[in-house]
Amino acid sequence: MENIFLLSLFIDCFPKLLSRLHITLYIVVIALLFGMLLGTYIAVVRLYKVPVLSQLATAYVSFIRGIPILVLLYIVYIGLPLVIGAFGVNINRWDTMIFVMIAYVVNTAAFLSEIIRSAVAGVDLGQTEAAYSVGMTRLQTFRRIIAPQAIQIGIPALGNTIVSLLKDTSLAYTLGVIDVIGVIKAISSNTYRSLEAYAAAAFIFFILSSILEQCFNIISRKLGIKGTISGQG
Amino acid sequence: MGFQFDISFFVYEIGIAIQYIPVVLLLSIVPLMVGLLLGTGIAIIRLFKVRALAQLFTIVVVFLRGVPLLLQLTILYLTVTLSFDSLAQTLDLNMTSKDISYTLIAVIGLSINATVYLSEVIRAALQSVNSGQYEAAYSIGMTSLQMLKRIVIPQALPVAIPLIGSNLIGLIKGSAIASLISVVEIINGTLFEANGNYKFLEAYLAAAIIYWALCILVERIVAFLETRVGVYGKGGVV
Repeated sequence: MENIFLLSLFIDCFPKLLSRLHITLYIVVIALLFGMLLGTYIAVVRLYKVPVLSQLATAYVSFIRGIPILVLLYIVYIGLPLVIGAFGVNINRWDTMIFVMIAYVVNTAAFLSEIIRSAVAGVDLGQTEAAYSVGMTRLQTFRRIIAPQAIQIGIPALGNTIVSLLKDTSLAYTLGVIDVIGVIKAISSNTYRSLEAYAAAAFIFFILSSILEQCFNIISRKLGIKGTISGQG
Repeated sequence: MGFQFDISFFVYEIGIAIQYIPVVLLLSIVPLMVGLLLGTGIAIIRLFKVRALAQLFTIVVVFLRGVPLLLQLTILYLTVTLSFDSLAQTLDLNMTSKDISYTLIAVIGLSINATVYLSEVIRAALQSVNSGQYEAAYSIGMTSLQMLKRIVIPQALPVAIPLIGSNLIGLIKGSAIASLISVVEIINGTLFEANGNYKFLEAYLAAAIIYWALCILVERIVAFLETRVGVYGKGGVV
């Protein structure tokens, strides 16, 4: 019986996989940065119930949260060139990485907007009224009273979303991005084996998500927040 | 070139996607049930700190929670297909790895994944019930079963139901990853139809609409159940 798992190959895989780690982290950081910007904007639109925009934002968040990221990746990858092409701009030659980034930003923004919205909505209305009654302006109220409490509410969910985002980036390879997962194909075409490489990738993702979780545990403890349960998806 | 979108093909693909809803349900409801069952077991073992088993399950749960579903499914798929041939030979089975159903592998993989997450949900739900409640139930002479049925479960359910709901949504969306290990579900089903005319956008959008509808449905059911089980949570005095 031939060996189905070669330990030496498993160990050899790590340098090759880690050499593409920056791509995975790059996707996570960009998705978080722009997702936070877009997500905050969506949350504000929904919290202040801006007419039309608020309904659009609600539909956007519901749709993105209701479809698998795998489907979203392909819709952005195939759909965006078609939509923009209709305006006479050809973006077919854009780097795949740009489409991947856009898909993850669009996805992350929807999840983050929900976190921001529910965190701000979770602060008691009496707090705002009390702040106004002592003569604070709107901005002061938000900065000194609402934001500190909302951050406490939102931090655990934010941690879960970032860990999910990290794990979701494992699907970027389907569009041909050579990240930690994408490089496995190159390894397996050289060695005719892939189980070891996938196991090594699993180990890398485990370490990364553990580090992230620990960071958020420390932040939560500093802010005096009780833990929550991580969800799926 | 103008924007080309074949509405009639899109509608046709929605019809195809609807036909594959049972596959998605198989890939999400079965893992949910298995996950609830095994997850409860793991949660109880970890809560009561059963020696050796509790530590073992803690390691497994912590590890699997950090690994993307794609990798869990791929590793399971590769391990099964690689080891099946020699296993079948030693057992004198007249089967090869080509006879294994990919759907079955996906169901098993998703079940393992669901077990991990649901064990955490159930553990948190049981922990949310104050230990004074257990003591009070014992002190008035209830048996363990009575205590679970009358005191613990009614208080743990309102905590668990929304979390179970979001896990079911996670499983429905996670079932899409099964398409990457050649399971014919909504995505592969609709893509197959688009292979002839390259109208893949219509195929993916049709799949998206169906996933969206399924998720909204689950959200509605969860919201309904929440109002039903929430009756115990209402504050105030009698």
